[in-house]
This record gives sequence, C-alpha cells and structure tokens, in this order.
Amino acid sequence: MQPDHILIVDDDREIRELLGSYLEKNGLRVTKAESGKHLRAALDQVAIDLIVLDLMLPGEDGLTLCRDLRAGKFKNLPILMLTARNEEADRILGLEMGADDYLAKPFAPRELLARIRSVLRRARMLPPNLQVEEAAHLLSFGDWQLDTLGRHLVDASGTLVPLSGAEYRLLRVFLDHPQRVLNRDQLLNLTQGRDAELFERSIDLLVSRLRQRLNDGAREPRYIKTVRSEGYVFSAAVQAQRDAS
Amino acid sequence: MKAPGAAAPRPPRRWPGSLFARLMLILFIGILAAQAMSYWLVMYERGMVGRDLMFDNLERDISTSVAILDRVPAHERARWLPLLDRSNYRYQLDTGIAEQAPANDVSRSVGAALGNAVEARYQLAVRAVPGDPKHVQVHLVLSDGAPVTIDLHATSMPVSDWLPVLLALQLALLAVCAYFAVRIATQPLRQLAGAADALGPDLRGTVLSEAGPTEVAHAATAFNAMQKRIAGYLSERTQILAAISHDLQTPITRMRLRTELMEDEVQRGKMQHDLDDMVSLVREALAYAKSLHGADEEARRIDLDALLDTLRCDYEDAGRAVRVTGRVGHAVVTQPLALRRILTNLVDNALKFGHDVELAVQEKPDARGAPGLSIAVLDRGPGIPDAELEAVLQPFYRVENSRNRSTGGTGLGLAISQQLAAAIGGQLRLANREGGGLAATLLIPGG
Repeated sequence: MQPDHILIVDDDREIRELLGSYLEKNGLRVTKAESGKHLRAALDQVAIDLIVLDLMLPGEDGLTLCRDLRAGKFKNLPILMLTARNEEADRILGLEMGADDYLAKPFAPRELLARIRSVLRRARMLPPNLQVEEAAHLLSFGDWQLDTLGRHLVDASGTLVPLSGAEYRLLRVFLDHPQRVLNRDQLLNLTQGRDAELFERSIDLLVSRLRQRLNDGAREPRYIKTVRSEGYVFSAAVQAQRDAS
Repeated sequence: MKAPGAAAPRPPRRWPGSLFARLMLILFIGILAAQAMSYWLVMYERGMVGRDLMFDNLERDISTSVAILDRVPAHERARWLPLLDRSNYRYQLDTGIAEQAPANDVSRSVGAALGNAVEARYQLAVRAVPGDPKHVQVHLVLSDGAPVTIDLHATSMPVSDWLPVLLALQLALLAVCAYFAVRIATQPLRQLAGAADALGPDLRGTVLSEAGPTEVAHAATAFNAMQKRIAGYLSERTQILAAISHDLQTPITRMRLRTELMEDEVQRGKMQHDLDDMVSLVREALAYAKSLHGADEEARRIDLDALLDTLRCDYEDAGRAVRVTGRVGHAVVTQPLALRRILTNLVDNALKFGHDVELAVQEKPDARGAPGLSIAVLDRGPGIPDAELEAVLQPFYRVENSRNRSTGGTGLGLAISQQLAAAIGGQLRLANREGGGLAATLLIPGG
C-alpha cells in the first residue's frame, strides 16, 4: 500500500524540514511548501492525501488558502490547521473556513501524527453525510443544538449543557452520520481521543452517558437507537446552521 | 489584602461614622449655639432698656403721686387712688404685708430709683415680698403720719408670639442650606469611592464626570488619569507576557521536533519532559495575563450539574478518580469557559498534591442573603500551612515544603483561578480541612 502523502505548508524552514523528517520517519510521504503559491504548484503536480497548513503565512494566510481550496476541486481534501495560539477566535475561523481539525503550536509531534491519522481515518472510513464545506457552527436535532465551537449542547430553553470530551466526539460522529448504523468498532475508531484509550465496552458506557445528557431513555430512545447485534443508529434528522438563531 | 472579619475591634462609637453626619452635626450644633447666643443678647438688651424705661417712669410717676396724696386731705385720699394706679403698681392706704423677704435685685433697684426721687421725709422703705421675687412693696409715711404702700410687680416687656416661630423658621432654613451644602461636598467623595470600587480586576472602570466645582473636577480628572495609567501598565504587562509566550512557540515547536529525531531514548524522554514544562509555563503565563483582563465571555444559562458530571467523566476517561457530591437541580447563569477553567485548575491541583478528590456543590447565600452557590474542591493530603493560604494565590508562589517544584506545575494555576473567580463575580477561598487536606471553595452568585 502506498504511504499517505502529506503536504506541509509552513513559512518556517526549520519547522518544515524537521516536521518532514519526523513524518517520513513515521512512514508517511512528505512534500513541503512555504507559501500559497508553492502549495498550489504542489497540488497540481502530485496527489496529496492531507494538508498540514500553518495559519500564519506571509502573503495569503492559512484561512484564505483553506477557503479557496474548499471552493475549488479540492473540497474533499482533508486539512489540518496549525494555529499560533489556542484561541477561540482562531478555532472558530479555522473550522468555519473548512479545516477538518486544528492544533495549537507548540504542538507535540506525536499529537500531530495522531491527529493526521485520525483525520485520514475519518475521511476514508465513512464519508460524512454532511459535506465538509458545510461544517457548521451549530448542528440541530430534535430539541437540541450542538455548538461545535464551544463543544456543548444547548437545550430548547437556551440552557447550555456541557459534554465531556469523549461524549462530544461520539455525538459528533453520530451527527455526521445520521440514519446510518454504526458498529462499535467504527464508533470506537472515530471517537478515539488523544488522551484516553477506549475499549469496545466503553462505547456502550459512553452511549448511555450521552443518552443521559440528552434526556433520552434507553427503553425508547428518541435519538440514539440500539440495533441489536450490530451497533447504534442516530435516528433524528440533523440540520446545519451557521449561526445561532 | 485583609480578610473580612480580621479587622481590629472598633471602640464604642460616640461620633457618627459618615462624613455627611459629622458635618451635619457640627453645622447644626454651631447654628444652634449661634442662634441661642443672639437670642440671649437680644433679650438681655431688651431687658436693660425696658428696665431703665420702667424705673424712669417709676421715679417721675411715684414722686408726683406721693406729692398729690400728701397734699390731698386724708378723707379724700381713697378717691384719688384709682386715678393714680398703673398697670403694674397700685397704691394702698395701709402698712401692707408685714412679712419681709431678704432684699433682692428688684427691691434694691426700686429702692435706688425711688431713693433719689422721693423726698426723705416720707421715710421710704422698699421690701421684697416673700414668695414672688418680682413682687415688691414700697412703704411710705405721709407728712400727716398716714401710711401708704405701693404694691409693685416688676414686669418685663412681653415677648411677642411670633418670635419663637421666626427663630424656628430661621433654624430650619439654615439646616436645609447646610444639608445641601454638605451633600455637595460629600457626593463627589461617594462617587469617587464608587468608581474606585468598580475598577475591578478587569479594569473596565467607570469614567468619572469631570464637571462640577473645581476641586471635584480636579479629583475626577486625576482619578480618570490614574485609572488610565493602571490600565496602561497592566495591558503592557499582558502584552509582554503574550509576546514572550508567542515568540517562544516557534523555537519550542522546533525543539520538540528535534527531540523526536534524537537517537538517545533516555535523553529524548528527559528533553521532552523539560519541553512539556516549558510549554505549560508559556500557556499558563498567557492564560494568567488574559485572566487579568477578566473573562471576556458572555454569561449563559448552564446546567451546572451536567458541567460537574462532565468534568468527572473527563477525569475518569483520563484515569483519574474524582467524586461529585450534591446537586444544584437548576440552571445557573455564569461564564461557562471561565468556570470550567477555574474548576479544572482546582481539581488538577487537588489531584497533584492530594488524593480522594471530591467536588461538592451546594446552595450558599452570600453575606447579604442573595442567592449563591458554593463549589468546593476537596482533597486529602498535606494541605497548605495556614500562614501561606493567602500567599499561594499570588502568581509564581510555591509552598516550600509540601508542594515544591519537583511536583511540577507553574505556580500560576491558583492565581489564574483567583483572577477568573473575581471576573465572574465570585470568590475563591482556601482552607485546610479537618483531618488533613485542602478545601478550595468557589463562591459564585446566582442560585
């Protein structure tokens, strides 16, 4: 199997080189670009599986590039954004411009590697029902809204209901793939976080926790239904909204 | 900063506390005293004038009347008496009241006045009548040996009814003027104190109006300038912290990548550990700098029970056990990210230095009885020496013995929590628990 081809876009030469060596050492193929111009040239020449894009670039910055790529023929190409700060504003912009994930500098290389693999896995395993360019601020279903930036739920009365990291990731997987039966293995893979090792049984625990947060009974659940000997299905309709209404 | 309740006991209060009351009291006493003095002066002058006038009349009138009585034949005298009577003295053809009181002011003055006017042959004697100091009888013997008594009541001129009313009105007018004057003087002080209070840790103070009397305008201008200066210093500090933290990010990223390419695994591990420490210091410093500007986050209604439970789940997923006790049962309005950050810092701290970590939530009205909540992060462990409980809230402070550098941490976690607690209108309190361990209690308004 051909190794995945990663395009690194960063204006700092040292980081480009070092990151390149590190990813190559971990079995990935790497192409490097220092600006938007080089990025476009590289995309025209070779088939790229994922872009690691620095937000702060001289000339065209990461956000502009991200938006342009999403508008053109590379709309399904996974993008991992590197932001300078771990700031809400950057995260909002990055995700709204269509990045699949983001990571704040200074990141740990292993974390980046894990994120690259997780984004690739997500993109390959199950193409989401919702298109990536629709990556929305708010996802509504039933009486609830999921705020993807604050990573919390909002109920019908406007009260914010927080979610744990794992709960958010699992709910996100469900909302990205509504009306599709997902088995525990798939859920496990897609929900896998950076800080915790999840086991197959813990998916059941997570589902029950999530149902509790959503006030969803296990007997006659409205949202997450159990499919005997197969897994779970998210049965409500999901709508994407860009802003709170 | 002094803890409430630690203030020295105050001496019993004799003097009103507020400047307003003190100024009012001084002015009122002053006005009252001045009024009393002028009243006394007027009355005294009046008394003197009245008396002189009365004795003047007495002298002339009595000498004439006595001369008439002396010339009139004895059997006609009784008919003359009504003609000679005056409002405050009348004549009697007898020896009068026999008892005699010791001489007093009135009897002496009457004696002195009449002594010059009445001829010596009438054997003038003035006697005070017992019982009424203003009652005097003047005894005379006419040339035919018949006695005459003048029964005299010394009167002062009556005070008109409107005088006390006028005085009271005057007093009231002065009191009203004093009230407004004192208010003009103390109002700006109150506003200044209010503005200084409002200048919280977020530095979004109120700008004082620079109008009004010169001194007040001056004070307001100075206060506004000071406020601006403090904000300037703090934002400079924040900018420096932010700039340093930001510029360290690229070199740290490079170093982290380099360590991954290092051959020596032992050294690599150590270096990565050092770099992790640097990263957390950089992040915390940035977070601390930002916390000084308060939580620029919108307040929202939040399900606090769910927040505490998700915290528990997050720690559980990371393999750390944290218990949650108590329930709020209703939504709370607060700034969720700041609250989460405070609690995460406190729980991290508790897990680092103690064990058996518990998050206990309960309703707790504040000192004035307004609804509030208390969220306590409790641990079992060494706690913090009582003397250092306040100092640990300072940035970069570390407790020497039990919580030293080798346990890691930046020394900023509690400082950030304290700043954010203030920013969301709450308070952070630390206390050692009975049986060992620390209780970090966050008190927030709402309920």
